[in-house]
Amino acid sequence: MTENKCHCFHCGEPVPVSCDLTVQLDGRSEPVCCSGCQAVANLILESGQSRYYQFRTATAIKPSDENVDIVEAWKRYDSRQSLWGTPVKGGACELLLQVEGIRCAACAWLIRSQLEARNGIEQVQVDVATGFVRINWRPDKLLLSKIAGILAGIGYRPHLPLAGAEAMGRQEERRSALKRLGVAGLGMMQVMMFAAGLYAGDAMGIDEAPERFLQWVSLVVTAPVLLYSGSVFYTSAWRSLSNRRVGMDVPVALAISIAFVMSCINFFSGNGHVYFDSVVMFIFFLSLGRYAELVIRHRNLQTGLALARLMPEWAELITDGGSEQVPSTDLRKTDRVRVRAGQTFPADGLVIRGVSSVNEALLTGESRPVEKQVGDKVIAGSVNQTQTVEVEVTRDPDESTVSMMGRMLLKSQTQRSRYAQLSERYAGWFVAVVLCVASLTALWWIQHDIDMLLPATLAVLVISCPCALSLATPAAIASSSRFLLEQGVLLTRGSALEVLSAVDTVVFDKTGTLTTGTPAIVSISLNPARTDFSEARVRDIAALLELDSSHPVAHAFTKPGIDRADVEKLLNHENGVEGRVDKVAYRLGSSAFCRIELSDFDSVDNSRVWLTDQNGWVACFELDDRLRDGAQATVSELRRRGLNLMILSGDNKQAVGSIAKRIGIDMFHAEQSPAMKMQFLQSLQEKGHTVLMVGDGINDAPVLSVANVSMTVSGASELANSAADFIITGTTLKYIVNTLDSAARTKQLIRQNLAWALSYNLLAVPFAAAGLVVPWMAALGMSLSSLIVVMNSGRLAKNNNKNNVIEQVSEAEPA
Amino acid sequence: MSMLYVLIPLAILLLAVAVWALIWAIKTGQFDDLESHGWSVVLDDDQKPPPLDEDEVSDSEKESR
Repeated sequence: MTENKCHCFHCGEPVPVSCDLTVQLDGRSEPVCCSGCQAVANLILESGQSRYYQFRTATAIKPSDENVDIVEAWKRYDSRQSLWGTPVKGGACELLLQVEGIRCAACAWLIRSQLEARNGIEQVQVDVATGFVRINWRPDKLLLSKIAGILAGIGYRPHLPLAGAEAMGRQEERRSALKRLGVAGLGMMQVMMFAAGLYAGDAMGIDEAPERFLQWVSLVVTAPVLLYSGSVFYTSAWRSLSNRRVGMDVPVALAISIAFVMSCINFFSGNGHVYFDSVVMFIFFLSLGRYAELVIRHRNLQTGLALARLMPEWAELITDGGSEQVPSTDLRKTDRVRVRAGQTFPADGLVIRGVSSVNEALLTGESRPVEKQVGDKVIAGSVNQTQTVEVEVTRDPDESTVSMMGRMLLKSQTQRSRYAQLSERYAGWFVAVVLCVASLTALWWIQHDIDMLLPATLAVLVISCPCALSLATPAAIASSSRFLLEQGVLLTRGSALEVLSAVDTVVFDKTGTLTTGTPAIVSISLNPARTDFSEARVRDIAALLELDSSHPVAHAFTKPGIDRADVEKLLNHENGVEGRVDKVAYRLGSSAFCRIELSDFDSVDNSRVWLTDQNGWVACFELDDRLRDGAQATVSELRRRGLNLMILSGDNKQAVGSIAKRIGIDMFHAEQSPAMKMQFLQSLQEKGHTVLMVGDGINDAPVLSVANVSMTVSGASELANSAADFIITGTTLKYIVNTLDSAARTKQLIRQNLAWALSYNLLAVPFAAAGLVVPWMAALGMSLSSLIVVMNSGRLAKNNNKNNVIEQVSEAEPA
Repeated sequence: MSMLYVLIPLAILLLAVAVWALIWAIKTGQFDDLESHGWSVVLDDDQKPPPLDEDEVSDSEKESR
């Protein structure tokens, strides 16, 4: 069993060598990486849903060991009626849950079929894009904690949506946009049919009565469509006008108003043409574009939500008479809280009682725990690992480090979206030019032939409709985002593709991004004075000592099939372990723990672990992170393309340096705090570089949002994902190269689309102004040009094969 | 030709029904999740997850009383 080749059947992570757990599928046994994955996979297979594995497009998240705790925690909600969701008729409630780990449609199917089979659950809806699950359930038949238990049992983590109202609002927005689109679509079909009759009448002759009738029914259908579906264009045109800008919607609103009002005048006066068909068609195509944009925008995960999810929902407040559970948001300065081992700190504060080690990955990105004593600061969101401590709150939840980080994030995100609006400004200019041309046309015809005034002006407005122009970018982006999703890359901000093609500098985070974040032994140096120990022997001793230890470093030492006969654990300390193997006492741990004089050695290095007995040191293990799959291949490919590569890490200099050397990146900066990383990136940008940041940790989130474009890799924290433009769902880094390629192709497509739309307009407008184009021809031309843009964008998906070649090449290289 | 005067109002009536049906479908959330239902055609079969454990059933029954 080789370590690197073998991936967990359920979560796709490498199976540790020491693990020989399997699950049975169709008579084959598939390896799994831990008992959590085994339990989840078995449950899924036993309930006859093995096809989840066949059809899923992304691997599952590794289930946490805390599934039992999840149920325990949720039991507290069972009695709180306010958390059951909004009551609907028949005693049922509609509950909205945010569920972590939903990655593809197969997940949604799995959750639906698991939940809907239970007594007491009436209906389940899963939104794959946002991870929201809406459950119609009967609180009198099923407990809330049971629902949480079912979800935890199949490997998902349920959360109460803290920003539920916001999520509901977004859904409402999407629904009403869809309604407007649908109404416009149905209306368009009808009016086009009547219009066909009218055009045929124009060509072959028609009696006045049926003609009047057809015009009349067109009006009856058009008016509600205009009022209902068209209202958005009026409100948004009004908004941009009241901000003294000429938005894209101004000519749209103008064109549909003129066309509608003039058609009405012509209809009631009984002479001239009606253009109701142009009005509805126009509204429909524009609504279609808007809806597509809205859907992409909503794919963005909500930053505030991801942030809130880091925080525990409850805190144990110490009162005079004992303690009580209060919502974390109610905590205030000088409150005292008790935080047990395994819990998350609910607020920033000072330790006032107890000693423990704390995981501050939140700030540093490193999973190595930090020792905390009385008087030390702890921050909200970090995890208390070993012992119960009491903490005095020093900052209100609103001002905690995490909240500040969130604000930092939001600020840079809004700044960046302003940058992205540049393309809209071009559209504004285009619109202004169109309006000028239209008024010039109107002026000319007023002086020369008043009868041609309306048809010519209208033709100009309709034919130069920014439809194709405004579709050029979104259509290309929509089609490439679909293509990327099939490839295992989720695009969260459309315009990022345009920026990505201009990137000249790639900055990587180290831990968790270039590396997997789990340490491995790189080399072993034996004490030359102790000839009685072989390398194999010290490995065995270390493996025995670290057996069953939960310390992250212990992973490096685990060894399969070891005979655990003669071990006796004496001490399990933060910095090391002490125990007896074959009656001899050993210590394994940091130099301080093993009482090693470091003067013999060149430097202090916390990636070294020592093995000692009472006669002094026996061996020294050099530990380092394991490189992520495809990291080497990706880095060399990126360099071949002439990109600047850098590493920014919160880890110490040596650790970063050694990884940089192994992977072949010359520039690296170590010991960087999130704020320093942000500064560094900004200074790069000031020098004129366009930066792609690749990261994964919570501490990377601010810097990800500052970068021109950002990507997160699989296993990244939710907060980092919320700040990223691209989320890579596969485990290897080679997707970076694929994404760069498709960005380049997308840019090419956008250029083609824009070129087409512009040249079409330049060609058609003079004819329209000259009165040579009848409005219906203009409408047809406009639709055709939009259609060409959409079809051109669809070509992206057909270029699949080219991309697969790259994939095969990087796969062929040794990982 | 006079059939037009019957057929077109009928068509508009049908249109109104279609609009109503569409809005009803959107309101009841049938368009909220367009992905997973497509999968259920290939994925669903007659096998259902095992019923709740005995203690779970009794738990929830207790609760309902």
